[in-house]
Amino acid sequence: MLIPRKYQSIAVAAVLLIASLAILSYSTIRLSETGLLRKVVLEAAAPVEDAINISLQSLHEVWNRYLFLVGLEDENRRLRKQNAGLTEQLNRYREGHLEALRLRKLLDLKEGFPQRAVAARVIDCNSTSLFKTILINKGTADGLRVALPILSDRGVVGRIIETSWHASRVLLLIDGNSNIDGLIQRSRAQGILQGGGSAGCNLKYISRAEEVRTGDVVVSSSLSGVFPKGLLIGFVTGTSRSEGGLFQRIDVAPAVDFEKLEEVLALIEDKKPKP
Amino acid sequence: MITYSLLPVLLLMLVVVQTTILDLFPLGLISIEISLIVVIYAGFHLDALRGGILSLVLGFFMDCLTSAIFGLYTFLYLLIFYLTMILAERMYGERPTLIAVFTGLCTLVEGLVIVLFYRFAFGADILYTLPKVFLPQAVVVGLLSPLFFRLFHRLEVFPHAEGTRPAQRI
Repeated sequence: MLIPRKYQSIAVAAVLLIASLAILSYSTIRLSETGLLRKVVLEAAAPVEDAINISLQSLHEVWNRYLFLVGLEDENRRLRKQNAGLTEQLNRYREGHLEALRLRKLLDLKEGFPQRAVAARVIDCNSTSLFKTILINKGTADGLRVALPILSDRGVVGRIIETSWHASRVLLLIDGNSNIDGLIQRSRAQGILQGGGSAGCNLKYISRAEEVRTGDVVVSSSLSGVFPKGLLIGFVTGTSRSEGGLFQRIDVAPAVDFEKLEEVLALIEDKKPKP
Repeated sequence: MITYSLLPVLLLMLVVVQTTILDLFPLGLISIEISLIVVIYAGFHLDALRGGILSLVLGFFMDCLTSAIFGLYTFLYLLIFYLTMILAERMYGERPTLIAVFTGLCTLVEGLVIVLFYRFAFGADILYTLPKVFLPQAVVVGLLSPLFFRLFHRLEVFPHAEGTRPAQRI
């Protein structure tokens, strides 16, 4: 070896540093030139850099999409909440609309009577128990009293059996204790309509000779003076004549659906002082 | 032999990763220069020839892919390698604090040389980059260097390092 072992490291360092300085000086003077080795390195590195950048771009897009989805989830939750609120609001409006329609029918009905009519809301319904009664939110403070007739837009509901200041109990016409004078509209045959529980009503004391058909309309006859004449009570659903009896049995289905009763009308006959 | 043929490829990959992935971290103008840590690690563990060639190749790749002035990083890395090699004979290069401080100082030296080179070669005054870029970069690279030293040691990036020139205590 020309160079002693002790100085080999120094020699290598000197050679490499001088070479690098020479390269640096050369490239500083001639900036525009790109050497072959540099071209090779650039060619080799470019596809790798491109692949990495594409992967990073994809990751970036995935991340952005994730963030978008997170935002979307929040928005979805907010919209669901808003949707629930709007549905509830729509439901309230729909209820209000239907109530208005029912009240309009009651109002139309009210205008057809000479008596004073008071609209009331059904606040309790005991039609499933033994006694078929309902509770309404008007009482003596509104002029209601015992025995006043109660109607709905479909027809006769029943009569008041007890009252307080701001509530009244109504005996439905399907209760076993209920007896209303009625007549068959077509034949004008008169009888007493007695409640038969959930099965409906029975029109009693109609002669066997009387021709009664299924579907005949039964209306109030005002014989007892409780109900005005001609109010719809129900429809005949069947007749039977037992052997040896004087009368026939007539089943009547009430016109009013007591399960869906919400508003009713109480007819108040103002008592005139007797002369 | 396989190591010698694979090493340039690995070094090129290192520079590519350094210039693509690590640049994604939001550190502003600061770049995490792992290649400089490699050069310093080589200064502590390799001999003049192998370490010099490694620094030359790494600097060359840096020049090819990042530098505007070809040969600047080649010269800088060689300079830092030999500077480290000289100092490694006089200090114990296994203490993390020392590694961090020394790497930070080398980053500052690198910045200073670049600033001076621009000043004298092109008449450009980029002195402001020292406090704004190179000082924070020196802190970041310095803090990361002990971790990378341990990683390089574990991975045995330099399989022939042992038996050549271990770090010495004065």
